[in-house]
Amino acid sequence: MSPAAASGEAPPPRPPRELYTIPASSSWFRWDDIHDAERQALPDFFGGAGGSGVGTASRNPRIYREYRDYIISKYREDPARRLTFTEVRRALVGDASLLRKLFGFLDSAGLINFSATSSRPAAPRPGVGADAVLEAPLGLQVTPRPPPSFLEERRGGGEGVLRLPQLTSYSDVFGEWAPGKGPLCGFCGQECRDGKVETLKDGFKVCSKCCKTNSDSKEEANKFSDVKQENSDNHASSAWTDAETLLLLEGVLKHGDDWDLIAQHVRTKNKSECIARLIQLPFGEHMLGTINGKPDSRFQANQTTDGKTNHCIVKEASSQSTEVVDGMQIDGEEDGADKLVEEHPSKRRRLCSSIDATGSLMEQLALLTTAVTPDVVAAAAAASIKALGDENPQAKKAFHLSEKEYQGKSFSSNPFQESNCNVGDQEVEMHGKTVSDKKMEKKFISTAYQVRAAVGTAVGVSAARAKMLADQEEREMELLMASIIETQLRKIQYKIKHFEELELIMDQEYTTIQEIKESLIKDWLKVLKRAFETGAPIQRDEVLTKLFLSKAAP
Amino acid sequence: MGAPRSSTVKFRMPTRDNLVPIRVDVEVDGQRYRDAFTWNPRDPDTEIMSFAKRTAKDLKLPTSFVPQMFHSIQGQLADFRSYEGQDMQVKEKIVPLKIDLRVNNTVVRDQFLWDIGNLESDPEEFARTLCDDLNITDPEVGPAIAVSIREQLYEIASQSVSAMREAKMSKKRRAPEFASNSKAMNNAVDMFKYFGSKGSVIRKRKEWYLYAPVVDVISNEKTVVVAKDEAKL
Repeated sequence: MSPAAASGEAPPPRPPRELYTIPASSSWFRWDDIHDAERQALPDFFGGAGGSGVGTASRNPRIYREYRDYIISKYREDPARRLTFTEVRRALVGDASLLRKLFGFLDSAGLINFSATSSRPAAPRPGVGADAVLEAPLGLQVTPRPPPSFLEERRGGGEGVLRLPQLTSYSDVFGEWAPGKGPLCGFCGQECRDGKVETLKDGFKVCSKCCKTNSDSKEEANKFSDVKQENSDNHASSAWTDAETLLLLEGVLKHGDDWDLIAQHVRTKNKSECIARLIQLPFGEHMLGTINGKPDSRFQANQTTDGKTNHCIVKEASSQSTEVVDGMQIDGEEDGADKLVEEHPSKRRRLCSSIDATGSLMEQLALLTTAVTPDVVAAAAAASIKALGDENPQAKKAFHLSEKEYQGKSFSSNPFQESNCNVGDQEVEMHGKTVSDKKMEKKFISTAYQVRAAVGTAVGVSAARAKMLADQEEREMELLMASIIETQLRKIQYKIKHFEELELIMDQEYTTIQEIKESLIKDWLKVLKRAFETGAPIQRDEVLTKLFLSKAAP
Repeated sequence: MGAPRSSTVKFRMPTRDNLVPIRVDVEVDGQRYRDAFTWNPRDPDTEIMSFAKRTAKDLKLPTSFVPQMFHSIQGQLADFRSYEGQDMQVKEKIVPLKIDLRVNNTVVRDQFLWDIGNLESDPEEFARTLCDDLNITDPEVGPAIAVSIREQLYEIASQSVSAMREAKMSKKRRAPEFASNSKAMNNAVDMFKYFGSKGSVIRKRKEWYLYAPVVDVISNEKTVVVAKDEAKL
């Protein structure tokens, strides 16, 4: 059975997983089920040999699973070591020969000792044989963690633990990540079938093809002439050729972070692939940081709609502008959450930027504002302006004035721009780089209001964001709670089942006891009869009389 | 899961191969021959003679050993055959078996559980696995362990036969079969404790040492001392 086929009936995914490489021949194995192969190989546990169909007290499917799970967990504690029967048997209560049979089955089926490097020459196992080559494991199989009862036995990290970053966007980009398939390549999003996977420092798996092209592109990014066409033909849809990478870089330089345009420029790739590729490039982030010309200019354009001297922000406070644009980039990523591939870097950056900010409240507020989508900012800005207006009619007037000015300049003034200009304003204030405009003095009051509005906006935005995060956490909590309850229910169901079994046993016992009683009474009656016939004296037997009475009573 | 089912078969070794453990300890003129092996009770008795002759020749023992060996083996086989034909109750019953023996320089101590009712059990296979797992190189250890297991199984089986017979006899007199049951169950593992839905077949870690084999390889001088001690017993 191929591992891909096995993944079809994979169990419902559970969040914590550990990845083990097991031989493809044993891919039928499931923690929570017993396969037909197991039933055939060990009929003793399933009533096959005895024919009773249910098994006996010490041989039934439940006991079998307890044995099996223990042995497999025990092996997985240290997969490199060969587990021996003698070692296992001291921890298991049960018939030694039966346990030996079970152990032999697990061993030959490749459920244990499959990657053990023992000093003992491993006997050639039928069925597995040459398949178990070390360099290229045939099937990668994801198995859910064993039941928690085994976790206490388990020492820390097993081999090759893969933890996927908890990202919604990951699955959005790469489609449904089906367990049991090979690891997905971080570059091309394809399943790595040949099993050769390289792990980047971020925990991303990259298939060999991409790895190759990646290193190629590193070397040849500046030598366009040396394109390996034959290389690209083989996996046009998955891997990035050097030409495509160059097109991507060009596109980024030209269109900034407008990924739709970049994707058009590259043509052979879609938007999310472009983003993933750029982030994977060793200089990708750096590049996004430096080519801020585009986003800057857009930003600038928004700002200059206000009549004030906002250009200076970008020019003069260059360090700050990169920070702001950094924020913008996050903004862009957030905006299309499905495009987001890597969370960790951006998270780190976000954290740093808000902590690093040199202590200025305003700066932090500006950053916070840029951390969410424009719509949110707009709403927050509108709300804060309204509140200010209600508070103070003069403020209303001031805003009204500036609004008019917009229209005078015949720009469509939407709240987003306004909020941006507010942000710009406050930055201007902070840096004290003010302001060569002549109207400035007149408008000082209105500027003050605008600053207040900006503060309100920022605070509102951060509040909204916090609310969103809190909601998310709450949802997660609910989800976990639900799973806990479900587990408890299942436990109770199991208990009920066991009680039913017990009841059945009790019933059986009861009937046999009744039968024995009956036969006893018959015997007694016979004896009495015989004695009566012969006329021998009979002394009263208390016990038997009682028995007789109790039998007669019901 | 149900009550342990029991069936009645004619007496045999409760293992897959119906092999009888034989222990020979013969002393002639200050020379002592001790050995343990298994014997197929279906083999004709002429085999015993040829075996005894062959062994004496291989070990360069005087021919005076041959009749003694013959009688010893034949006697034990006769014991075994005296049980054959009688009814033996086969039901699931798990008992602890203990191994404590010395073979040449190797001392093995072990304890494990064995199902008397499992007529498919294979002591030889078990002993081979044990020796493989513990890297015991002495080829005589494995068979010795297997024979030791068989001896214990033989004893339990013959006891159960006698108990059955007693029960039958007494049944004819008056008592029902309760008495013999409790006697036979004396040291068996409590099924319900481990295999019931509340129990667990995973043994507690602190009890592991009880059921783990201990193997010592002792020096030659010590072997002599131990052998002398054993001889005194």
